[in-house]
Amino acid sequence: MSIFEYNGSAVVAMVGKNCFAIASDRRLGVQLQTIATDFQRISKIHDRVFIALSGLATDVQTLYQRLVFRHKLYQLREERDMKPETFASLVSAILYEKRFGPYLCQPVIAGLGEDEKPFICTMDSIGAKELAKDFVVSGTASESLYGACEAMYKPDMEAEELFETISQALLSSVDRDCLSGWGGHVYVVTPTEIKERILKGRMD
Amino acid sequence: MISLSKVKNMSRRYDSRTTIFSPEGRLYQVEYAMEAIGNAGSAIGILSKDGVVLIGEKKVTSKLLQTSTSSEKMYKIDDHVACAVAGIMSDANILINTARVQAQRYTFMYQEPMPVEQLVQSLCDTKQGYTQFGGLRPFGVSFLFAGWDKNHGFQLYMSDPSGNYGGWKAAAVGANNQAAQSILKQDYKEDATREEAVELALKVLSKTMDSTSLTSEKLELAEVFLTPSGSVKYHVHSPDSLTKLLLKHGVTQPAAESS
Repeated sequence: MSIFEYNGSAVVAMVGKNCFAIASDRRLGVQLQTIATDFQRISKIHDRVFIALSGLATDVQTLYQRLVFRHKLYQLREERDMKPETFASLVSAILYEKRFGPYLCQPVIAGLGEDEKPFICTMDSIGAKELAKDFVVSGTASESLYGACEAMYKPDMEAEELFETISQALLSSVDRDCLSGWGGHVYVVTPTEIKERILKGRMD
Repeated sequence: MISLSKVKNMSRRYDSRTTIFSPEGRLYQVEYAMEAIGNAGSAIGILSKDGVVLIGEKKVTSKLLQTSTSSEKMYKIDDHVACAVAGIMSDANILINTARVQAQRYTFMYQEPMPVEQLVQSLCDTKQGYTQFGGLRPFGVSFLFAGWDKNHGFQLYMSDPSGNYGGWKAAAVGANNQAAQSILKQDYKEDATREEAVELALKVLSKTMDSTSLTSEKLELAEVFLTPSGSVKYHVHSPDSLTKLLLKHGVTQPAAESS
C-alpha cells in the first residue's frame, strides 16, 4: 500500500455560476481500520478561499497550519485577503520547498476571485498546479471521482444544483473506494454566503 | 544629546558603543534612543474593564500625504494584539514585522493565540539583544501593546529601547509623556468603561499636544475589545468617527484654520 493511501481520502471541487462547491469524505483510517468518521479535510483560509487536502493526515494538518501562518502574515502586511490564484501559488511554492522530502498531500484549492469569478485548481505533492474550468479531484477515490464528475457535471449551475451534483458525484465515487467514505462534507460558496452541509452516505 | 557631555565630558568616550557601560553604570546609546523618542509623536494607552484604548498623535500631516488605509501609529500584530508606536518609524516597522512573525510561530507551534505578555517579552528580548551584543545601535522605538488573552483578559504593556517592559493601567510614550502620565495618574478611574477611557484619552492628548487645534487628521484612535460572539476585535476609528467623538467630548477647537 502506498503512503498516499495510508489514511484514505476523497476530495472534489466544482465550478458553478458565480459560485463554487468543495467537498470531501469524512473517514480517517489507519490502512483498513477506520478510526474517525468526522475528520476535517476542508479548511477555510478566508471567506472566499477554501483548501481541501487529501493524503497523509498528519501532513494535511501540518500543511494547513503552515498555510494559516503564511496567510495571517500576508493579511497583516497587505491589509487584505489573498486572491485564490495567489494562494494557489503560495501552496505550490511551499510544496516545492520540500521537493526532496515532500508533504504527502494533494491539495484542492477553490475560491472566488475578482468579479466573483470562481477559481479551482489542484496540484500534486510537489506543487505542480493544474488549473481547470470545471472540476478537480484528489485522493484515493480520484479515479472514480473523475468518472462521476465527467458524467454529472455541466457548466453554469446555480448553487443548489451544484450542491446536488457534487454530492452525488462524491457519494457514488467513495462507494467504490474502501478507504474513503463515511459521509461527506460539502461547502457551497457564493458571493453572499457560505453553506456548509454534512452528507449521510453508506457508513462503511 | 549633546547636553549630557556638557555635564560630564567623560561621557563622550562611552557614547560610541552600545555594548559597554559608562563609569556611572549607564548605557548611553539606550538613553540617547529614548531622547529620540521624546521628540516623536505621542501615544497614550488606557486600560478599561471592557477593552483597551490606544490613541496616537500623527506628526506627519500634510495635504500632499496620500491617505491610504495603512496607519502611522497603530498596527495590528495578531488578531488579539495591537500596538501603538512612538519613535523612529523605520525601526518600528522592523520590530512590528518581528512581532508578527513571533506571534504566528507561537500559534503554529501551540495552535492557540500567543499570550500578550509572552509576545511583549519575546519582542523585548529582541530589543535587549541590541543593547548587549552585535555592536548595533538600539531601536529608537517605544511601544504600547494592547491585547486580550484568555488567561489575563485585557492588558496594556509599555516597552522601551532598553528592552524593559511593564504592565500598565494607563501609559504614555513619545513627546510630553511625563505631562501625560501625571494627568493620567490624577484622572484615571479603575472601573472606567471603554467609552470613558476614550474620553479620557482624548482629553489628555488635547492637553499635552503641542499643536493649537485638535482635528481628526492629527490623531489615530484604536480600540481592542470583545465582540458579542466572544472574539477579539481591533478597530481603528475612521476620520469621520473621530471627528464626531472630538465634538462629543468637547475637545475639538472648531478650527478657524483652512483645511
